[in-house]
Amino acid sequence: MLVLAIFGAALVVASQVLSPLALGEGKKVVTDFGLAGSSLLATLLAVFLGSSLLHKELDRRTIYAVMAKPIRRAEFLVGKFLGLWTTTGFLLAGMTLMVLAQLTVVHRETPWILLGSLLLTLMELGIVTAFVIFFSSFTTPGLTAFFTISVIVTGSFAEQILYFGGQGESPMAAVLTGAFYWALPHLSTFNVRGMVTHGIAVPPERMAFAVTYALLYMGAVLTVAGAIFERRDFR
Amino acid sequence: MMHRDNADIRGRLDPPSAASIREVEPLAPLDVIGLTKVYRDPMTLRPFTAVDGLSFTLGRGEIFGLLGPNGAGKTTTIKLILGLGGPTRGSIRLDGRDPRDPAARRRLGYLPENPCFYDHLTATEYLDLTCALFGLDARAGRRVGSALLERLGLTAHARKPLRKYSKGMTQRLGLAQALLNEPTFLVLDEPMSGLDPIGRAEVKQILREERSKGTTILMSSHVLAETESICDRVGIMNGGKLLEVGSVPGLLATGVREWEIAVESLPEQPAATLRAAGHRVESLGTRWLIRVVEGTALQQALSLLTRSEVFIHSVEARRETLEEHFVRALSRGKAVRS
Repeated sequence: MLVLAIFGAALVVASQVLSPLALGEGKKVVTDFGLAGSSLLATLLAVFLGSSLLHKELDRRTIYAVMAKPIRRAEFLVGKFLGLWTTTGFLLAGMTLMVLAQLTVVHRETPWILLGSLLLTLMELGIVTAFVIFFSSFTTPGLTAFFTISVIVTGSFAEQILYFGGQGESPMAAVLTGAFYWALPHLSTFNVRGMVTHGIAVPPERMAFAVTYALLYMGAVLTVAGAIFERRDFR
Repeated sequence: MMHRDNADIRGRLDPPSAASIREVEPLAPLDVIGLTKVYRDPMTLRPFTAVDGLSFTLGRGEIFGLLGPNGAGKTTTIKLILGLGGPTRGSIRLDGRDPRDPAARRRLGYLPENPCFYDHLTATEYLDLTCALFGLDARAGRRVGSALLERLGLTAHARKPLRKYSKGMTQRLGLAQALLNEPTFLVLDEPMSGLDPIGRAEVKQILREERSKGTTILMSSHVLAETESICDRVGIMNGGKLLEVGSVPGLLATGVREWEIAVESLPEQPAATLRAAGHRVESLGTRWLIRVVEGTALQQALSLLTRSEVFIHSVEARRETLEEHFVRALSRGKAVRS
């Protein structure tokens, strides 16, 4: 609730401060600022809440009584993933609805196409959450946050990494960047903020591709995380 | 395990007969064979053996106490039994299953050492969660949970967040969640920890009731007097090894360690004679206590006291306690290692 309140206040202030400078493009500024801000906040929350989630369970030994029950460790991880994704997803949805409300009240327009952006950002958030769970299944909270942020940054520039790898003369570099490109999540697939800001609806086929890709990617990351966690000794 | 494998193969080849059915042994609730756990220091990668070649089997309806000083390997052994870690060598079977198989833990109850639960939940909510983890019917589980909270004196605190619970109350809730699935095998790590004398007596009574229902109980404890009074068998661990396993009376020296003769009053002359014979003579206010180490010396001491017309109040034999035996076993283990 605190995050939602801060976001709402920031949105109103930004709208009042930036709109006069936008030369009649106030609606676009609010949309762009609102969607980018909500995505960034939800991602940061997923990284920083999630990186200590498993560590706390191990540190306080609450996990011992749970794992002695007839459940698989992978089920426990999936439960943690779903809990974190749902929490941050609700926050993201709340913030997007605030942007919609702001546009409706101030600009007398309700651009429902923002919901397309919300769905894809939710998918992106799912991939980030899966990585948080993956790294926290074998490393410390600090390293989990560091590795996940590294994946987000490199994943947002996956295409550029492939391009620059192919520009060099070393064939090894091209192979490596190619492998890197396929392994990294293509987070730019989920970034449709530019489109919806300009009033363009996300095409259904792009939506379908992005959702399928995200679900498969999350499944793969969680499968590997489950396999690692299954072998971990609780000391 | 070989004999079981052979029986299994025989069973597949030959038609079953009454004789072969009689030959089949029931699976032990817990079978530990050559269990070894080696950890590596994450920085130096130097190996450290926490559990070293442990072997023991528990029978149905038995209370087994795992004793040992801090760092003996008791908690590591318990974690391996629960599947919270994998053994480096050896095997563990719970009713014939690997403990890492979730099905093996369906009828298992576990109370961790110094239990810690999700402290934003209430006792009722935590038991509901436990019920869901066991896959039990929610309504039936709620009924069993309420009965357990009543039995453990927590009904008045059932709706209080667990962060407000005292250590003793948390320990009681730990026992409640361990008993929720009506287990056939209970693993209790320091069950008496944090409990007052009344709480200890109640827990002992619950454990006796569970044993009478056929539940096998494995408990680790530092409170040797409690262990002695409740366990059918004990295992003494130190340095990751199992030094001794046996029934409490069997482990304790069968012979009498010393005799205590209590007398009303003791004149100077016989007291001096007893001291000269090497016996300890102590004044306890209005009474005197004479400690005699040996049976023959007891006869002589009693004759002397009768001749001196001393009123003998009582004669008691003092046997070795589990605590004394425990200390002796540990020092013997250390001597063997050095």
